[in-house]
Amino acid sequence: MKVNYSYLEQQFADIEPYMDDIRALVRSGDFTLGMALAEFEAKFANLLGLPYAIGVSSGTDALILSLKILGIGSGDEVITTPNTFVATVGAIAMAGARPVFVDNNEEYNIDVSKINSAITPRTKAIMPVHLAGCPADMPSIMKIARRNNLIVIEDAAQAILASIDGKSVGSWGETAGFSLHPLKNLNIWGDGGVIVTRSKELCEKLRLFRNHGMATRDEIAFWGHNCRLDTLQAVIANRLIKKVHSITDQRIANAKRYDESFADLQEYIQIPPRSANVKQVFHTYVIRVKNRDRLYAYLIEKGIDVKIHYPIPLHLQKAASGLGYKEGDFPVCEEDCRTTITLPVHQHLKPEDIGYVIDSVCGFYRQ
Amino acid sequence: MHISYVKIAAQHAPIKEVLLDAIGKVIDKGQFILGDEVAEFETRFAELCGVRYAVGLNSGTDALILALRALGIGPGDEVITAPNSFVASASCIALVGARPVFVDVNEDYNINPALIEDAITSHTRAIIPVHLTGRPADMDVILKIAQKRSLYVIEDCAQAVAAEYKGKRVGGFGIAGCFSLHPLKTLNACGDGGVLTTNDNALAERIKILRNAGLKSRDECISWSGHSRLDNIQAAILLVKLNYLDTWTEKRRANALFYQQQLADLQQLKMPQDASYERAVYHTFVIQADCRNELKSYLSECGIETAIHYPVPIHLDKAAEKLGYVTGSFPVTEWLAQRILSLPVYPELTAAELNYIVETIKKYYLGKV
Repeated sequence: MKVNYSYLEQQFADIEPYMDDIRALVRSGDFTLGMALAEFEAKFANLLGLPYAIGVSSGTDALILSLKILGIGSGDEVITTPNTFVATVGAIAMAGARPVFVDNNEEYNIDVSKINSAITPRTKAIMPVHLAGCPADMPSIMKIARRNNLIVIEDAAQAILASIDGKSVGSWGETAGFSLHPLKNLNIWGDGGVIVTRSKELCEKLRLFRNHGMATRDEIAFWGHNCRLDTLQAVIANRLIKKVHSITDQRIANAKRYDESFADLQEYIQIPPRSANVKQVFHTYVIRVKNRDRLYAYLIEKGIDVKIHYPIPLHLQKAASGLGYKEGDFPVCEEDCRTTITLPVHQHLKPEDIGYVIDSVCGFYRQ
Repeated sequence: MHISYVKIAAQHAPIKEVLLDAIGKVIDKGQFILGDEVAEFETRFAELCGVRYAVGLNSGTDALILALRALGIGPGDEVITAPNSFVASASCIALVGARPVFVDVNEDYNINPALIEDAITSHTRAIIPVHLTGRPADMDVILKIAQKRSLYVIEDCAQAVAAEYKGKRVGGFGIAGCFSLHPLKTLNACGDGGVLTTNDNALAERIKILRNAGLKSRDECISWSGHSRLDNIQAAILLVKLNYLDTWTEKRRANALFYQQQLADLQQLKMPQDASYERAVYHTFVIQADCRNELKSYLSECGIETAIHYPVPIHLDKAAEKLGYVTGSFPVTEWLAQRILSLPVYPELTAAELNYIVETIKKYYLGKV
């Protein structure tokens, strides 16, 4: 049996409806900042209950533009966690600021109890990551930010529709960046991202910033980037956004089945905390396990496409060598890198696929 | 008769099914990021430009930004370019933290090499000549200056795919060539896209890492960076279009020649003329016209859309305020900004449309006499 990590083949088994939309777009030639993009931005904002969404060329660009538009750059420090995809930190560095790491908690998210001691006079912002689709502790982060006069930019790349007490991720910070990468819960046929904000002023600036700073065709208000979400991709997104609730529900159901099945393997498997008031959307299903490397090899051999998110903590990457961190600085994160494994959790898994994964994992530990 | 300035739909109409097939194949494979199509496009694009490497990126602007970053150009550095270009030629410099330094242009709309040396300071690191309108800048002179002063040359080839200078295509003269694949370019994606060309293996490898979040392998990050990848789906579209590029470019050149011949007698106009050693690809066909604004209005009344590339020189943009330039800083650029007019030149123009444009322009000036 083969259980794939990717599901794009199944998701787009019937591409005709999409192709009809694309056919119409090609006919119109409306490829840059076109009507479908405006429509998508409105739908996306609405989905999150926010007034503004701005389509950009990637989730990474969503963070870079957010940082820059909020005036964060050279000489500033931005606090985030070392347990994330490299782009979180890449974005901070691209804005010219210095990433400052704070260890994560057992939810894989930034440990709010450790933020205060990382704040210096140069700290300008906190960038919490809602890793794996699990919201960071936003109420506490917002409190710390307010007390210290810091900007909060949420890295919501993996967490569309995740929420705390019904309040969606993306609605806490000044802005938030979402990714529409092909393997995200809301995905497109290439790179793309979205920035959301409640500020009309920020929204207007960001719309210029992604488009060369062009106030009109001939008026350049400020130096800007070119990172627009392709209209062609917005066409795809407009179809998929209708399905994002059912996709999310299916992922949650799959995760729940794993959770229940692994509950009596506590000796080997540690499931991160689940709370009734927190909606996790399971972009990935990540657990801590005993003998991770052996389990990994075993499952791969069984035809199960498992992953590790992420094997090398960011503070120990070569790119971080200038930041002065060393092994042991973030013990929880480092332990996670040694012990976590990611099981397929996508919406196209069949019940028997999940059963097979569960049986294989259980079988490994019963050996 | 109505003639639009651009007409992408007309370009796509005859090849629509082939394009959709190409898109469909990418979907079937589910390979959306840096897939086979991107690799194949890079190989073919490098061949097209006569260079060793091409790297597909998110936009032409990103190609310039990544070239500058990869060469270590940033705060404290100066980069020389022309003030009459699309804003990205200058904003790329500002966005990496360096200072754009402008040098006035010639009547061919390209940087005037005779003025470059005066603009070089101890902070200057690079020159970005722009091959504006699809005509190559005077690369021999520029390269000589760059060599003498140890500066990098980064070619802004956004408008100049397959343009030739002394028998050699642009993109391989400097350390890097930066191309745009924007929908309105002569080789165009159905969205944003760009490509960087180089003969330098180390630079090509570096750009490949920088476009992909600094990742050397799936898990190893050697340098913080963002994402700037040409979408695989756009690469598939571009592979189809590459097959037509020669035909389209020849048609553009033929349209330009038609204008040049038909409007030669009008003293009120000045046509771009290829030098014997160049092959212009006419991304735009920019004439200089007496009473430009009136001519533009008249053409518009007669159903002919034209454009101005660009009405506000970059040094006079609000974005450039802090650079300290004023009106008068670049007299040729400023003078041209009052006189230039871009006529439709796309390959799909019909003979009747071309005739109508020519006749209407003649009627305007002859009627005035």
